[in-house]
Amino acid sequence: MAMRDLVTGGASCNDSGSSSSSNPLGSLANALIGSSSKTRDRLKEIPTSTSSGSSNQFYSNSDEQLTALPGSESEYQFNQHSAGQDVGFLHNYRSASHSGFTEAWDDIQPERESNFLESRHIYNEGFATQTQQSWDGPPQKILSGFLHSFVDSSRFGAPFRPTALPMLGLTKGEKQCIRNRSSIMARHFFADKSEEYINAQVDALLCSLDIDNDIQLKGPLPGRVRELEEYWNESQGLRAPVADGWVAEYRQNKPELFNPNGWANLFEQEHGPNGWASEFEHDQAQAVSLNQSNQHMSRLAGMEQTRILAHTLAQNNDPKFKNSRFLQFVSKMSRGELFVEGNQVKESSISASGDWGAEYRQHHDGGLSWADHAREKELLGDDKWVDEFSKLNVQDWVGEFEHQAEGAVGEDIMDSWASAYDEYLNEQSVAKHNSDSSKGVYVFSDMNPYVGHPDPLKEGQELFRKGLLSESVLALEAEVLKNPDNAEGWRLLGIAHAENDDDQQAIASMMRAQEVDPTNLEVLLALGVSHTNELEQSTALKYLYQWLRNHSKYGTLSPEELPDSLYYADVARIFNEAAQISPEDADVHIVLGVLYNLSREYDKAIDSFKTAIKLKPHDYSLWNKLGATQANSVQSAEAIDAYQQALDLKPNYVRAWANMGISYANQGMYEESIRYYVRALAMNPKADNAWQYLRISLSCASRNDMLEACDSRNIDVLQKEFPL
Amino acid sequence: MADSDQQLKSDAFLEQMKTHLTTDAGKEITKKIGLVYQLHIAPKKLGFNEVIYTVDLKKGEVKKGAFEGGKPDATFSFKDEDFIKIATGKMNPQIAFMRGAMKIKGSISAAQKFTPDIFPKPSKM
Repeated sequence: MAMRDLVTGGASCNDSGSSSSSNPLGSLANALIGSSSKTRDRLKEIPTSTSSGSSNQFYSNSDEQLTALPGSESEYQFNQHSAGQDVGFLHNYRSASHSGFTEAWDDIQPERESNFLESRHIYNEGFATQTQQSWDGPPQKILSGFLHSFVDSSRFGAPFRPTALPMLGLTKGEKQCIRNRSSIMARHFFADKSEEYINAQVDALLCSLDIDNDIQLKGPLPGRVRELEEYWNESQGLRAPVADGWVAEYRQNKPELFNPNGWANLFEQEHGPNGWASEFEHDQAQAVSLNQSNQHMSRLAGMEQTRILAHTLAQNNDPKFKNSRFLQFVSKMSRGELFVEGNQVKESSISASGDWGAEYRQHHDGGLSWADHAREKELLGDDKWVDEFSKLNVQDWVGEFEHQAEGAVGEDIMDSWASAYDEYLNEQSVAKHNSDSSKGVYVFSDMNPYVGHPDPLKEGQELFRKGLLSESVLALEAEVLKNPDNAEGWRLLGIAHAENDDDQQAIASMMRAQEVDPTNLEVLLALGVSHTNELEQSTALKYLYQWLRNHSKYGTLSPEELPDSLYYADVARIFNEAAQISPEDADVHIVLGVLYNLSREYDKAIDSFKTAIKLKPHDYSLWNKLGATQANSVQSAEAIDAYQQALDLKPNYVRAWANMGISYANQGMYEESIRYYVRALAMNPKADNAWQYLRISLSCASRNDMLEACDSRNIDVLQKEFPL
Repeated sequence: MADSDQQLKSDAFLEQMKTHLTTDAGKEITKKIGLVYQLHIAPKKLGFNEVIYTVDLKKGEVKKGAFEGGKPDATFSFKDEDFIKIATGKMNPQIAFMRGAMKIKGSISAAQKFTPDIFPKPSKM
């Protein structure tokens, strides 16, 4: 058995002899040979399992790799970076001939899980000599200890060194979890350090834990896209489970498409098992991984890789393949006559992100496309394959590839990707989407203690009077569930929602009220106001006009037939007439004020509301309307006075609190605005608008530390931090 | 305004933006961003019946029509509704872009500064 040869015939792979302590396999061999026969027997049973821990760590480039599993190469490459001290061993390893070892290595891949306990045991014996810290105990303990050491390293500012750990038997999901968490954590720990440093740290950690680094590669796309990704992460903040995990999640959803291994396999299926597809893909992944750290290096490494690739290809016995233009192309590439710009190659190698990449490039003139580059090198002019390749623009190439990989994909590259992502998003937020898309449909609360209450309407009115808006909403919901035809119940519910700063729900309940009682003026006005707030001008105009039509006094002013399309000017003219008929009717002035808001004649609107306030000085909603109008015409300071009046009359007026916040925010006083938003949200945690505005204000006030609390809607923390 | 065949929510919104930019807070934004954005706002479907606005955060102006002083730093296309969602913080610009709800031309770094922060928030009656 190869492994056994390797271990027992340690001399051949340990020719430098002296370095047994820096040679893990050698030390392992020593430990094993010196250890009890029982252990040796166990080793026989699982002849290669020891390698699963160590070889991952100390593997390097060698020809064998090219026959190893696709996709694993970049991993090795990373390990090589991080475990540079073991170069000596690598040389030994390369010089020895042991193709059997690779075979064995391949064999045990699936067995890892089942064997890890024993292997850990054995491994530890050999390994303890090398590290000061011995990683012993159950996997959980090792893992937690290990992670602690990672955390510690951040404290002392010392770069974290990759350490070889025994097999922990982590599942794919766990690895993914660790990967996500650690990159987030690292960003917190090393907030003051550079991005490269953080990445290096995380890589070291992941590498030690045997977590696929190439996931890392694909996650945040390299180059400028990475910048976008970071920005995305930053802006997403605590939607983190979704935000940070989405790439991974997406990949889970479409493993076939995304995974380069899958890609290679699919390609292989189509083009026979020559293996070149996977090799080529290796090469690309390789180039990419290097490109991240050093562009120049990437070229050299790419060339080196291509050379090996060309070599491998040349060894292929298939004569058809030997003469293939691809081989010529690759060998030219290996001689440096053509080199590959890492980004572009990468984009075409990873299908799904490639779509995005293509789209990105469309908008980004800077990047020289791969095909262009190839065309530039006229050396290849006579080469038909490359010629053909360069004629296609990269998008087509990606598109064509998709055809092969998947059958048929939609023509619009961006869309195919976006829609797939949309699918995922939709799954995530079905509930939210429902409320968003099906506008005008009332959404009831899940848990309602007032269901079964003997007289919820009375209770609701009472609560509303006391200013307990959210409670009264629940009571009124119970009422309209009991009596769906109770217009008053729906109306009050609508008003409660409006005061609670939720226009969507207000509109939905007012529409129900209007169904039952189509001529109720208050309902029509409320609908007009809410639609104005939602910037739905024509709908708002329609309701305001209906208000006029149904008014006993002014109904006659409007023409008999209702015009198909309403013209604002006509409606405004009629209302002005009405105001002249009865200048003492506050309601007319209110509607007029709303109308002027629609036409953005704010000065006139302010005058109308002021007139109405003179007639109805205790109407808190009027003060708020005045304030909102002033705020929208950028008289924020005056607006705050008006809001204050409204709040004096009704301290629990959520909308006025939120509007206060908006006014401060629009004046650039973000700290103050946060306090008001928080106050509004404390009273109605369901006010989505206020949450969104709060988030904006937090980031404007550089209070990113509170974004997490905002995203998790943790009002207690926020209230503590921002008392009013 | 109010011709009912084409009324965009964005009209009202950008009108407010225009006045907002004359305030101190607005001038602050102009100073901070210093870029010119061109917005293509479609009532229903991307690319159809687009209304073009120029949000000049160099001079602090909002104008209807394409930018006349050369090439805008970034050009955005979206639907009326989506623009409002983005501007009021309901939708993340990155998500909008990835969903295809927003198309971007021009400099990506300029586009990244196109966040809800630069827009005034409408107050509600």
